[in-house]
Amino acid sequence: MSLATFRKGIHPSYHKDLSAAKAVESLPVPEIVEIPLLQHLGVPARMLKAKGETVVPGELIAEASGMISANIHSSVHGEIKRIVQRPLPGGRLCDYVEIAVDREKTDAHRWERKELDLSTLDRDSVNRRIRDAGIVGMGGATFPTNVKLTPPPGAEIDTLVVNGAECEPYLTCDHRLMVENARGILDGIRIIQQVLGFKSIIFGIENNKPDAIAAVRSALDAYKDLPLSVVQLAVKYPQGGEKMLIYAVTGRVVPAGSLPLDVGVVVSNVQTLNAIGEAFYYDKPLVERILTVSGDGVTEARNLRVLVGTPIKHVVEYCGGYADSTDKILFGGPMMGIAVPTLDYSVMKGTSGLLFLSSREVPEESPCLHCARCVDACPMNLMPLKLAAYAKAKMFAEAKALNVNDCFECGACAYSCPAKIRLVSWIRYAKNYIRVKKI
Amino acid sequence: MSDKREGFLLTSSPHQFSPASTPQIMYTVVLTLLPAMIMSVLFFGASVLLLYVLGVGAAMATEAVFKLVRKQSWRSSLDGSAVITGLLLVMSLPPNVSPLLVVLGSVVAIFVGKEVFGGLGANVFNPALVGRAFLAAAYPVPMTTWMAPHAVFGFLAGADATSGATPLSSAKFEHTFESVGRLFFGQTGGSIGETCALFIMIGGLVLIALRISRWRIVASYLGTVFVFGGIFWLINPQIYPSPIFDLFAGGLMLGAFYMATDMVTTPYSHLGGFIFGVGAGILVVVIRLFGGFPEGVMYSILLMNSITPLLNRSINNRVFGAKPSRTEGAKS
Repeated sequence: MSLATFRKGIHPSYHKDLSAAKAVESLPVPEIVEIPLLQHLGVPARMLKAKGETVVPGELIAEASGMISANIHSSVHGEIKRIVQRPLPGGRLCDYVEIAVDREKTDAHRWERKELDLSTLDRDSVNRRIRDAGIVGMGGATFPTNVKLTPPPGAEIDTLVVNGAECEPYLTCDHRLMVENARGILDGIRIIQQVLGFKSIIFGIENNKPDAIAAVRSALDAYKDLPLSVVQLAVKYPQGGEKMLIYAVTGRVVPAGSLPLDVGVVVSNVQTLNAIGEAFYYDKPLVERILTVSGDGVTEARNLRVLVGTPIKHVVEYCGGYADSTDKILFGGPMMGIAVPTLDYSVMKGTSGLLFLSSREVPEESPCLHCARCVDACPMNLMPLKLAAYAKAKMFAEAKALNVNDCFECGACAYSCPAKIRLVSWIRYAKNYIRVKKI
Repeated sequence: MSDKREGFLLTSSPHQFSPASTPQIMYTVVLTLLPAMIMSVLFFGASVLLLYVLGVGAAMATEAVFKLVRKQSWRSSLDGSAVITGLLLVMSLPPNVSPLLVVLGSVVAIFVGKEVFGGLGANVFNPALVGRAFLAAAYPVPMTTWMAPHAVFGFLAGADATSGATPLSSAKFEHTFESVGRLFFGQTGGSIGETCALFIMIGGLVLIALRISRWRIVASYLGTVFVFGGIFWLINPQIYPSPIFDLFAGGLMLGAFYMATDMVTTPYSHLGGFIFGVGAGILVVVIRLFGGFPEGVMYSILLMNSITPLLNRSINNRVFGAKPSRTEGAKS
């Protein structure tokens, strides 16, 4: 059968075999957690607790402050030690809530599954619960999910696309979730189906995860009420890009500068849907996630269930530490992930992976040959070589006219470039300049 | 794992890169030229080996000197692009050309054809052709003195050709046409590396398969020569050569597969490549049939090189989602 996909894109080496077969383990509870108040796109949450207060797992510690924001809950039982300002991956300063963990009580805490009468749910209550649970897009974009599920008046949404592509190299956490707990994902789908009433639900999974495809298909028996079909996607990067995925599975083209809503589609990552299911069936806010620890620098690659706020030092110690040859630590995958300079960071809602990469010399840039491999790679059909040249020449209006703002920084261009030109960096430079100077 | 290590690399995404590199591309091109180079040695003797060495050496040395003068790293002269320039220049010269002219041509190719523009990637014209154009203008007699090749393919009738003329000049001035078989295998007079269409095509097709060459330019260039040349042949086959002859004679194969496909100096858009190929094809036929020279490949490419920046600048892709559309049904 032919596989659904999009135009252009690249085939990087995936390195998923390092961790794909490893079942998810729960990381032992750390001695402290450091929970940042900005783990989502938008405005930081407003702190509700003070130093010295005791918190329990799932307790609200900071509330969404504004339309685009998200609640933050304690992932542990413990005492708030202090609130410190530290950088997030990427450099922005943020308040972190440092909690001394009572490991025994935290370990003893159980999230109990309860009965749920779906018929009692309505749009408002579902949205409120998702907002209360602090759920954000867990594929990495961390956009508040309740906002995404609230279509503007008049917008008609008929399709839910479930993103199980996981096209970033190394990452296997979504894969493992689909294999081990497809029902959790389907529980979440059922809840939003109950109130949004999609005409069709399309579950897209890249074809390199046959066990995930099989697991989802067999779990479907218990969810016959859902108008759901599983679509096998070609293995190609960035297959999980929202616009690429929508095109691949529905044939719809999201207009440049528009959102999936404009073509009647909502896209949701599998972990996000699982979190929605947990919020309803377990009363559990978003306080933990599955992430992949991998890379040639880490002693043992693993898929781990990790409490939000866990210091990454604790995570990597559980994986046997990292080799001295490690040059780079990444939050996320190698294509779109963010490098951090030290281990002083914590796991957040959007942390899909922690990669420890060694011997990654920064390749030296050489002149552009006009080979146009970047043009052949760009899933948005942009011309990265021109955008970079315009950025270098500070010709920002020209870059804007060539749709530089439609770049979502997937990195396919810079990956492909034989001259190793930092195309994405130049494009970011142009985008930032255009935004700040309002060109 | 040291307890508190600082200073991991802070670079922005992406953090993974394809193994492709400029030297890899350049030396792949060099490798695919080897079959045609070996044939040229068989046809014209071991002396052409010396010419290759001199041409490549002079090109690399010129680039290295230029980089040093500009206080840049001389190592970029090893990236393979100067090797290609040197090889292509030698391949486009007559077999008994003096070694001095080869060196001179290489120096001009790199200096005037490439470095004055700012080096690799910034040059407008194909450097090898700039060098050749200089030699053709400055030394017209040695540049049009030809020798017959040694008989390599014995199965071709009259393989031991003695005529010193090239098939194109015979066609142009005497209206006698060399057999296509001899053109195809290269058993004719002509430039060092241009005569053997077969082996040039083999190398060129490998580059297309590796997606280093852009097939649209090659196809539109050759196709235009075939169609446009064919029109004249249909009008008067006594005077004008057949379109098959047009394709395999002279430097067209080398030009189409190795010069019209130079990434730096030809358009990168599909439409631009098509325009380049058609334009160059028309120019070849016009110059060959009606111009002052028997061969027009060099000028066809150089002239189209000159409009390449314009084509690159003016042809843009439409961004994904540029026009709202909503089509039902899964796409594959």
